[in-house]
Amino acid sequence: MTATATLVTPRGGKAPRRAPVGTNRGSSVIVGFVALLLIGMMLAPVVYIILGGFRSNAEITVDPSGFPTRWNWENYADVLTSGVFWGQVGNSAIAAVATTVFVVALGLMAAYALSRYRFRGRGAVYALFTAGLMFPMTVAITPLYILVRNLGLMNSLAGVIVPQIAFALPLTIIILSPFLAAIPNELQEASSIDGLGRLGFFWRMVLPLAVPAVVTVGILAFVNSWNSYMLPLFILNNEATYTLPLGTQAFASQYSVDTARVLAFTSLSMIPALLFFSVFERRIVGGLTGAVKG
Amino acid sequence: MNTRKILAGAALAVAGTLALGGCAGGGGGQNADGSVTLTLWHNSTTGDGKKYWEDTAAAFEAANPGVTIEIQAVQNEEMDGKLQTALNSGDAPDLFMARGGGKLADIVTAGQAMDLTDKISADAKTALGTSLNAFEVDGKNYGMPVAVLPSGIFTAQDLLTAAGVTEAPATISDLEAADAKIRATGVAPIAVGAKDAWPAAHWYYNFALRACSKDVLDAAATSRSFDDPCWLQAGENLESFLKTQPFNDGFLTTAAQQGAGSSAGLLANHQAAMELMGAWNPGVIASLTPDEKPLADLGWFPFPEVPGGKGEEGAIMGGVDGYSCWVNAPAQCTDFLNFLVNKENQENYAAAFQTIPASSEATDAVTTPALQSALKAYTDAPYVSVWLDTLYGQNVGNALNVAVVDLFAGKGSPQGIVDAVNAAASR
Amino acid sequence: MTTVRHPVATASDDVAGRRLAEEGAPRTPSAGRSPVRRRRENWRIRGELAILLGPALVVFVSFVILPVVLAAYYGFYKWSGFGTPVDFVGLRNYVTILTDPAFHEALGHNAFIVIGSLVLQGPLALGLSLLLNRKMRAQSLIRVLIFVPYVISEVVVGLGWGLMLQSGGALNGLLEKIGLGALRADWISDPALAIWTLLIIITWKYIGFAVILFLAGLQGIPEELSEAAAIDGASYWQIQRHIVLPLMGPTIRIWAFLSIIGSLQLFDLVWIIWGQYVASTAGTSTMATYMVANGRNAGSYGYGSAVAVVMFLISLAVALIYQRFVLRRDTAGALTGGTK
Repeated sequence: MTATATLVTPRGGKAPRRAPVGTNRGSSVIVGFVALLLIGMMLAPVVYIILGGFRSNAEITVDPSGFPTRWNWENYADVLTSGVFWGQVGNSAIAAVATTVFVVALGLMAAYALSRYRFRGRGAVYALFTAGLMFPMTVAITPLYILVRNLGLMNSLAGVIVPQIAFALPLTIIILSPFLAAIPNELQEASSIDGLGRLGFFWRMVLPLAVPAVVTVGILAFVNSWNSYMLPLFILNNEATYTLPLGTQAFASQYSVDTARVLAFTSLSMIPALLFFSVFERRIVGGLTGAVKG
Repeated sequence: MNTRKILAGAALAVAGTLALGGCAGGGGGQNADGSVTLTLWHNSTTGDGKKYWEDTAAAFEAANPGVTIEIQAVQNEEMDGKLQTALNSGDAPDLFMARGGGKLADIVTAGQAMDLTDKISADAKTALGTSLNAFEVDGKNYGMPVAVLPSGIFTAQDLLTAAGVTEAPATISDLEAADAKIRATGVAPIAVGAKDAWPAAHWYYNFALRACSKDVLDAAATSRSFDDPCWLQAGENLESFLKTQPFNDGFLTTAAQQGAGSSAGLLANHQAAMELMGAWNPGVIASLTPDEKPLADLGWFPFPEVPGGKGEEGAIMGGVDGYSCWVNAPAQCTDFLNFLVNKENQENYAAAFQTIPASSEATDAVTTPALQSALKAYTDAPYVSVWLDTLYGQNVGNALNVAVVDLFAGKGSPQGIVDAVNAAASR
Repeated sequence: MTTVRHPVATASDDVAGRRLAEEGAPRTPSAGRSPVRRRRENWRIRGELAILLGPALVVFVSFVILPVVLAAYYGFYKWSGFGTPVDFVGLRNYVTILTDPAFHEALGHNAFIVIGSLVLQGPLALGLSLLLNRKMRAQSLIRVLIFVPYVISEVVVGLGWGLMLQSGGALNGLLEKIGLGALRADWISDPALAIWTLLIIITWKYIGFAVILFLAGLQGIPEELSEAAAIDGASYWQIQRHIVLPLMGPTIRIWAFLSIIGSLQLFDLVWIIWGQYVASTAGTSTMATYMVANGRNAGSYGYGSAVAVVMFLISLAVALIYQRFVLRRDTAGALTGGTK
C-alpha cells in the first residue's frame, strides 16, 4: 500500500479530531429512510406474488392490490404435494449442480493456464474466451439446438448442462484470471524450491487461495443455470424433463384461469434460489470484494 | 486440504447425476418385448377435453392388448413451435394434432408425415366425406379429421337483447350499428384476443373471404403471395371497421383462451357480447364460466356480408382439426386413427369439446343451439376455406398474423399486410 | 514482499510478474538451463497446458464457437429445419434483415435499453452504494434484500410483473386506492409506455447486482485516503468526486460493459410478458425476440440463423469499440480495483 504511505505523513502536533466522514445524525436518518424505501420497492413485487398465492381468484379480481382476507393454504399445499413441482425442482438442481461443478473445474484450470503460463497464442486464446461473451445463448441457440439434436441429447438434462457449461466459461475465466495472476510469483518460486511443479502448485496452493473468487464464480454459474429459460425451452420437450422456469411458465399457461394458484406456484419456484442465496450471501459479497481487491 | 476433498467429492457426485440426466424422454415405438407404445400430443390442457383423450386412449388400449398410449397435453399456443422442434429433432410424437393446409404440406414435403391414403377404413371414408380433403397433399391423404370448425360470431344473447339488438346483423354496417347499441349499455361489444395474433387475424381472413373469389384464395396457397387487389380491399374494409372501435379495452394484451381475462373468458363472464371464433369456442367458454358449465345464452351467427366483394354469399371460413401419424410411427397408429373416427368416439368428442364432429354419423350429438346454427351454415355454404395462416404455411401465416395485429394497433396499414406477406416469401 | 531470491531467477522476474498484460506471465524458473533440458521442459509445459486448457477449450469451441460458425453457414440458406439445407440464397437473408423495418425497430429498442440501463442504473447504484457503504445495523440484511430480484429467474419476474401491471391488476388498483386513479394506464400494451415499463422492470431486477459490485469496489478503497482528504479540509462531495469516483473507475467500467452486453441480448423478460406478437406492436421487441419470432416460430431456420449472426456482429462491434476506447486503461480482465 505504498500509495497511501505518501499521503498519511505524520503531522506534528494534534490534528483536529473529526468525526468519520458523513456519519452525522441527520444523514443517518436520510440513509435509513432511503434504505427503507429501497427495500420496499425491491420487495413489493415479491411480496405481491407470495401474498397472492394466499388469496382467492375472486378477491384478486375485485381488489387486485389488497391483502388476503382469509389465508388459503390450499394453493400452496396443492403445489407442494404435487410430484410435478418436485420433479422440476430435482431437474433444476441436477442441472445447476452439474453445471457449477464443471464450470468451476474447467474454468479454474483454464484461468490458471492463461494467467500463469506464457505461450504463443495465449493472447489469442484469452481473446477467444472473451469473444465468447459476445455469443449469448440467444445468438447460438438455433444451430446449438441442431447440434444437440444431432448428438442425440434432445430431451435430456445433459443436452442442457453441457451447453450451459460452455457458455458460462467466458465470464468465469474473465473473473478468475486476474485473481490468479495476482498470486505472487514468490509463492510459486518458493514452492518450486520445495519440489512442487506448476501443477502441484496449482493443486496445493492456488486452489485454497482462489476460494473467494471460486465461490463468486460458482454462485453466478449456479444462479444462471437455475434461472435459465431459453435453452431448456428449445431442448426439453418432454414434460418429465422440465426445469423449474419452464415448468412455471407451463403451469401459468395451463392454469391461467386460476391466478391464485399460478402465484402460489411462482412464489414457490422462487424459494430455492432465495434460500441458496441467503445461505451464501456473505460469501458472494466477500468473494466479489476479494476479487476486486485482487 | 478441505477444498480438494470437496472438489473431488463433487466431481464424483456430478458424474453420477450426469448419468442420470442422460435419460432421454423420447417418442414411442416398438419395445423389446413386442409391445407397442404410441405417443400422442393434443392441445386440451384442462377439463373435459383432457379427460376425453384419457378415456379414449384407455378404451383403445383395452381393445388392443400390448399397446400403450402415452399422452401429452400441449398448450395450444405452444403446439406449433414444439411440434416443429420435435419433428426437426427426429424424435417426434407418433400421433400429433394437424390442421391441414400449408402447414401440413410443409411437414409432408419434409417427409415427416405418414401416407394414410390406403389405410383409412371404408367406413371412415363415408362418414367423413369432404372433411378429408383438408388433409390431402398432392392427391394423397396425410391426416384424419376429428372436428369441423366453422368460424362465426358467438354471442352472449342476453346482452344483445338487453341492448335492443333483436336480429343477427346481416351486413357489416348492421354489425357496426349493433356495436354502438351494445356499447351504450356499458358492455364491450366484441372481445378479441389480439395477444395471440390469430384471433385478430381471423377478422382479416373473413374480410378476405368476402372480398376475394375462391380461385384467388386457392391460388395464393401455391404462389404464397398477395398480388390480387382484393387483398388490399379486404384490408381497407377491415381498417374502416376498426375505426368504429368495436373491441374490448386492452384487446392487444388480451389472450384468446387462457384465463378469465381472455376474450373467451370475457364472453363467459358477460363482460363482452360477441366474439369471432371457430366452433371450438363453446367448450372453451364452458371452462371459463364462473360455475364451469356451458354458457346458457350462447348464440351464433355467421360473419356478416361485406358489399362490393367477389366472394360468394354464405361462404364460410373454417378449419378442420385432425390427427396425423409420424412417418416412423408403428402401424398401430393408423388403427388408432380409424378408431378415433368411429361413431361412438366422435359422439364423445362432440360432447366433451362441445364442438362439431367431422363424422356425419355423429352430428346428432351436437345439442348446443349455437353449434347447430353453425353446422347448418357450414353444410349450406357454397364453399369452405381453411384458416389462411394454416393454408399458407407457417412462415407466411406468421407474417400475415403479425401484420394484422399491427393494423389493429394502429401501427400498420392495409398495404402493410400485403407487403408483409410478400416479404415473408423471401425468408 | 519477501526479498529472498532464488539463484536462477532472473532480475526481470519481479517486474514482469506484477502485470497481467499480454506478454507478462511469470517466467518459469527454467530460464537459463541447458538446451536439452529446456526442450524437455517445453514438452512438459505443453503437456500441462493441454491438461489445463484442453477440456475448457474443447467444450467451449464445440458448443459456443461451432454453433456460431454453423449459424453463419445456415444463414446463407433458406431452410425449414428438416433435413439438410439445400436452398442456397447467398446474402439475401442478410439483405432482408437489414432492410426490414421490424428489425430496425427492434434494434432501436435494444439501443434504448442499453442507454437507458446505463443512465438509470449507474448513478442510482453509485448513490445507493455510497449511502450503504457505512457501518450500520442491518447492512448485511439490506445487501441480501437488494440482491433478491437478481436471484429470481426472469420467468418469475415476468409472470409476477405481468400480472401486476395488467389493466385490472395490482398497480392500477393501488393507484386507485390511494387516490391517484388518474394515473391508471395500460402499462403493458400502450406503445408510449411499454418500453419505459420494460426499462423499469430491468432496473428493478439488475440494480442489486450493480450495487453489490460497486460496494465491493468501494471496499477496496482504503479509508485512509478519505480521512486524509477530510483532514485536509475536503467536503464529503469533494472527496467522492476526486478520490472515490476515480478509484471506482475500473469497477464502473466493467459493470457498464456487462450491462451493455446484457441489454443487447435481452430476451426472457420481453418474451414472457409481451409474447412474440405484442412485443412488436407495443414497441418492446428486441433483436432476440425478432430472431425467435421470425426464425424458429416461423419455420425459417436459415433466416433465424442470419439474424443471430447479425446480432453477434453488432455485439462484437460494440464490445471492440468499448474495449478499445474505454477499457484500454485497465488491465485485461474484470474487477481489478487497482494495481498491485
